[in-house]
Amino acid sequence: MSKKVLVVDDDPDVRLFSVTVLEEHGYTPLEAEDGEIGLKMIKAEKPDLIILDVLMPRQSGVRLYRELKTAKALKDFKVIILSGIAKKTFLRSQKALTEFGGAEIPEPEIYLEKPVEPDELADVIKKVLG
Amino acid sequence: MEINKLLFVTKFEELGFDALRSLLTLRNSALDHVVFVNVIERDRVAMRRGKGYQKDEEIRLREAANIRFIDWSETLFEQGMEVGVYIVVGSLVPEVIKATQKENADLIVIGRSHKGVLEHLYSGSDVTELLRRAWTPVLVYKQLSETTISVEEPFERPLLAIDWSPGSLRAVEYLKVLKDTVQEVHLVHVADEKDLKGPSAMAIQKTRKEARDKLEEICESFEASGIKAREHVYIGDPDEEIEKAAKDCQASMIVLGSSAKAAWVEKFIGSTPRKIAEESIYPTLLIPPEKGE
Repeated sequence: MSKKVLVVDDDPDVRLFSVTVLEEHGYTPLEAEDGEIGLKMIKAEKPDLIILDVLMPRQSGVRLYRELKTAKALKDFKVIILSGIAKKTFLRSQKALTEFGGAEIPEPEIYLEKPVEPDELADVIKKVLG
Repeated sequence: MEINKLLFVTKFEELGFDALRSLLTLRNSALDHVVFVNVIERDRVAMRRGKGYQKDEEIRLREAANIRFIDWSETLFEQGMEVGVYIVVGSLVPEVIKATQKENADLIVIGRSHKGVLEHLYSGSDVTELLRRAWTPVLVYKQLSETTISVEEPFERPLLAIDWSPGSLRAVEYLKVLKDTVQEVHLVHVADEKDLKGPSAMAIQKTRKEARDKLEEICESFEASGIKAREHVYIGDPDEEIEKAAKDCQASMIVLGSSAKAAWVEKFIGSTPRKIAEESIYPTLLIPPEKGE
């Protein structure tokens, strides 16, 4: 059975791009348009990999990532961040949340800054999923 | 009624990041989440004879907004704040209402409308329409360059105009929870000259004293919440007197309730809140009554 990959991004063009890359490489893509829907789908579908945007309505990727990595039942989900937000900003935001009393959390497996080439995305997915 | 989530509606030319920075003192209270909204008006990308729908223009406008929001968001994310973005094609007010409901925002911040006189005459202003349709408090932000006053932090010294309407009494509760942001509140009630046509000076003074006593009670409730408060009674035309009181008190913002005389689908906006929101030099925070009041 092909591996399930959930794409969480509010931009329909980016979702289409990621879904196309995933289908071409034999994965089963799933889609969510914001962090809240994404979290529900993660719990329901238990994807093998999550491709997560940062800047989204309702719940950002910063908070969703933190929620995943601090919940016992969710922390083992593999995550690739794909965003226009710089990696250093993402890491600083996590550091700030830790300083405000949150738990220390690990860095994401892979952080890609948009835009990304199809081959580059396919390569990192393959690398993470093994 | 804490302000946890703020919707920042901008077309960029009238409201920039400096305006948002001046509101970040709300973090001392409860602000944790900022949602940026940019609405690309339909007529900017609409069908043109010989050109069709201007998809390229839509992409250009979306990306220009996106790049700006990414830059602003990075600053907020690095402070540990939560940030969201909506960039949509449509009509401003319905899209703002939609985003407010979807996000369950506690405050909408919008710049003053820059429509020309003729546009105002035919289509009304976006601010007025938003005030009429939103059940969420609206802060009409005024740019510093438009005014002669220097407003660093609008929530620092608000002037709260009280007319005993449900909206203005709700505004009291709204400000009370901001004790870590608000330094001092000035309460003003403007008595209409026609209310003072008593038979004697005594009767006029009685009207003033009654208003003052009621204001004092509210001041005491502010003090009990840890916010300094002072009461003032002015006489005359509310539109003019509220502006004068704001100047006298060196206020940083005017806060008013929006009237609710009829609430079928949309609520009635009193002429004073509308006029002050549109014309005052001060940032103006409009608090609607509870739905159904």
